[in-house]
Amino acid sequence: MSAFWLYVFTLIFFLFDYFILAMGLNIQYGETGILNFAYIGFVAIGAYMTGAVSMPNSVGTGQHYILGLNMPFPFNLLVGGLSAMVVSVLVAFIALRRLRTDYLAMVLISLSLVFYDICNNYVPLFNGADGLYNVPSPLAGVLHLTTNSFTVVFALLTGVISLIMWWIMSRITRSPLGRTLRAIRDDDGVAAALGKSVFRYKLTSMMIGSFFAGIGGGLIIQFNTSFNPSAWLPGETFVVFAVIIVGGVSNNIGLLVGSLLVETMLVHLVAFLPAIPGHPGLILNIAAMMIGALLMVMLWFRPQGIVPEKLRRSPAAVAAATTSTDYAGIDEGVSHE
Amino acid sequence: MSDQSVSRADSALGCQDLTKSFLGVRAVNGATFEVPRGQITALIGPNGAGKTTVVNILSGLMKSDGGTMHLESTETTNWESEKIARLGLMRTFQLSRELGGLTVLENLLVAPHDQPGEKLFNIFFRPGRVTKAEKAHVERALEVLRTYGLYELRDSRASDLSGGQKKLLEISRAVMAGPKVLLLDEPMAGVNPALIERIGGYILDLKAQGVTVLMVEHNLNVVEKICDHVIVLAEGRTLATGRLSDLRENKEVVSAYLGEVIDAGAIS
Amino acid sequence: MSVTQFWLSFGFGLSTASVLAVAAVGLSLQFGVTNYINFAYGDFMALGAFVSYALNNEILHLDIWVAMIGGSLFMGVVAVILNRLLLSPFARRFSKTFYVLIVTFGLSLIMLNLLSAIWGDNVRFYNMKIERVIKVGPMLLTKNQLIVMALSVVLMLGVHTMLKTTRLGKSMRAMSDNSTLAMTSGIDTKRITTITWFLSGTMAGLAGTVLGITEGNLTPAAGELFLFVIFAAVIVGGVGSIYGAMAGAVIIGLATEVSAAFINPAYKLDTAFVILILTLLFRPNGVLARTGKA
Repeated sequence: MSAFWLYVFTLIFFLFDYFILAMGLNIQYGETGILNFAYIGFVAIGAYMTGAVSMPNSVGTGQHYILGLNMPFPFNLLVGGLSAMVVSVLVAFIALRRLRTDYLAMVLISLSLVFYDICNNYVPLFNGADGLYNVPSPLAGVLHLTTNSFTVVFALLTGVISLIMWWIMSRITRSPLGRTLRAIRDDDGVAAALGKSVFRYKLTSMMIGSFFAGIGGGLIIQFNTSFNPSAWLPGETFVVFAVIIVGGVSNNIGLLVGSLLVETMLVHLVAFLPAIPGHPGLILNIAAMMIGALLMVMLWFRPQGIVPEKLRRSPAAVAAATTSTDYAGIDEGVSHE
Repeated sequence: MSDQSVSRADSALGCQDLTKSFLGVRAVNGATFEVPRGQITALIGPNGAGKTTVVNILSGLMKSDGGTMHLESTETTNWESEKIARLGLMRTFQLSRELGGLTVLENLLVAPHDQPGEKLFNIFFRPGRVTKAEKAHVERALEVLRTYGLYELRDSRASDLSGGQKKLLEISRAVMAGPKVLLLDEPMAGVNPALIERIGGYILDLKAQGVTVLMVEHNLNVVEKICDHVIVLAEGRTLATGRLSDLRENKEVVSAYLGEVIDAGAIS
Repeated sequence: MSVTQFWLSFGFGLSTASVLAVAAVGLSLQFGVTNYINFAYGDFMALGAFVSYALNNEILHLDIWVAMIGGSLFMGVVAVILNRLLLSPFARRFSKTFYVLIVTFGLSLIMLNLLSAIWGDNVRFYNMKIERVIKVGPMLLTKNQLIVMALSVVLMLGVHTMLKTTRLGKSMRAMSDNSTLAMTSGIDTKRITTITWFLSGTMAGLAGTVLGITEGNLTPAAGELFLFVIFAAVIVGGVGSIYGAMAGAVIIGLATEVSAAFINPAYKLDTAFVILILTLLFRPNGVLARTGKA
């Protein structure tokens, strides 16, 4: 298979993976209004934990890491998702209880930096700055895949997983739970005055989103067969925000579009461009600046994103069952100052 | 001056010696009153008397610096607003706070407590229960919307409503939660006379259904027409309580408040 | 830990606290007046530090302390421009702080990559004289550390005097307490906001440069990594409080350096985070606060 197709399938992988990541951050930011600036940290937890449980015992591998359970796919991936979820509960109990949006964002970004610092320096946890490598490729042994065919199969598998995640997320956002989360996003004081336990729902939202982050991270480490601190600098969270805001807050199609434009094109496609002689990394710097600028332009001119959030209108069946003609002209008696 | 006219047993809601300061300024300074069960009570007083602050404290939106309060027989001093709401106290806001990104119908559907569909487990493992409850809620919500004349707007974005429509939406949302006690913070402010009439009718209907209402109101005409009981606040304290007709005789009240309003021509 | 070690790390702690105080007060001044956190503040520091570097090492070849003034003032002007063209329009247009916070986060990404595009990711060094170590009581400090401390103390006194005695300071405090009230009481809030951004940017540039001087090196990401230590100081002291920021800086500065003598110095910043978490759990409004905004 040609290098070209390998590139294409790598892009397809990241398209679907960032779709999953965007859905996870969207339920926190887009649906609930939690400004989780530590999101990439939860992606990293998912990646490291998936890697650490699927690798053999670390003795003799030349790497240092915890666990090492030879756990097969998809259980390793679930461990990644659940680990991120468990950590999000701890974080929520410390930070989510009584902090204003911006204080919470400060605490979360600090958390992300500290977690980064620990992973980077504390070798016994996840091999320090070198990160984990030689992570087993799932299904490669069972299906007798080569490195190339693994790329194709895993990209498509990620597509299937993202569809499942999409289904799960749609069930949640369309449910009364999703509605209550959006009520909290619009005005948490009103939600509380209606008797909603704002903390409990924010916690639920954090857990769901972090599970998605962990799954997305677990897929990345298995696709790349490695993961190290340079892959998840705190600024990476911003890329996921850009995916959401450019594509469309609280619209799953929008998130897929955002993932295509931001992650696939601006992050990964540009990585394949030849470097400008004498200026290694300049193209990546320019791409990152373009992401920042694109997000600001979108926020200003089209804050709802390319594909805006849909209003959840009442089901047609309900409306049909209750058609009424007993009402005329609501605007009578309403002042327009 | 404490309120002797309503006994604790007849009171649905009340407070004792509430205090609250902002940046060193005493907004509420020993407010004490009882709200009679099943009646409509007006909370009146000049601007800056602390009416909204008292409502905010009673509904748990703000914590008082001192004093106690109760809802029915339960001490609710310094409770979170979500806990107070679940005991059956609902409120509206002086400046309407609609859930702007939701439709009118969704604004109402948020209100019922403990919906099965608000639990992750039920969404995936008991979808039947979720659908059943949701159907019942939708039916009830549409009925409330019809009552309040918002039915045609059920699928509109709440932020697109006019000021008067938002007032109606807030009241119907509170009603949807099935309140025992309803706090209305200036439900008639900024709406035209025809709508004032209508809102007054809705409040009387709620009373007929057994709901206790405490409303902050400036328009003494309205107070006279629909309120059974009046509490006068001035400088954060309870100045007097009783029927409006009795309070008109009270010189202290007249000089502190009624006189000012009469001068301003609010009583026509 | 020996007594000597303790005093050695204590001296370093005072030096870190001095840098931190400048940074934290600069962040808090702007937060108080505009009521949103600037997540690009770490990159403001880095930009100031690199402009100082350019003046010191690439053009003009100024003495580092002179270059520092140039870099700081440059950053102050950039901050004013960024506020006028970018942040203030967003803050005015959207009532939810959400948007402007994300914009500062995006600005941080742009600035970091701009620095990295111009100066590369390699570690740079200021052109400074070999430092003399001076014995101050039981502490051993370099001359540069002493200058930084003196500078910080003077600056803190200056901020204190400005807030308490000048009209500008009083207006700034009024806007911190209640911006609507300040506006209606005839304060030119736009002018005060501009001046505040200038001060905040200048202090960021100053803090970034002195961080480079005391640490001995600078990288584009240095400010960003330092940002959370500033956040820790600000939260521990009580968000929005200038004196809280000063106190927080001393607490965090001393705690990180003294703890570095016990534990692996690679984790000294994590001490700041532990203190931050303890503060959030037990005094969420800050150690000094009576009542707060949180």
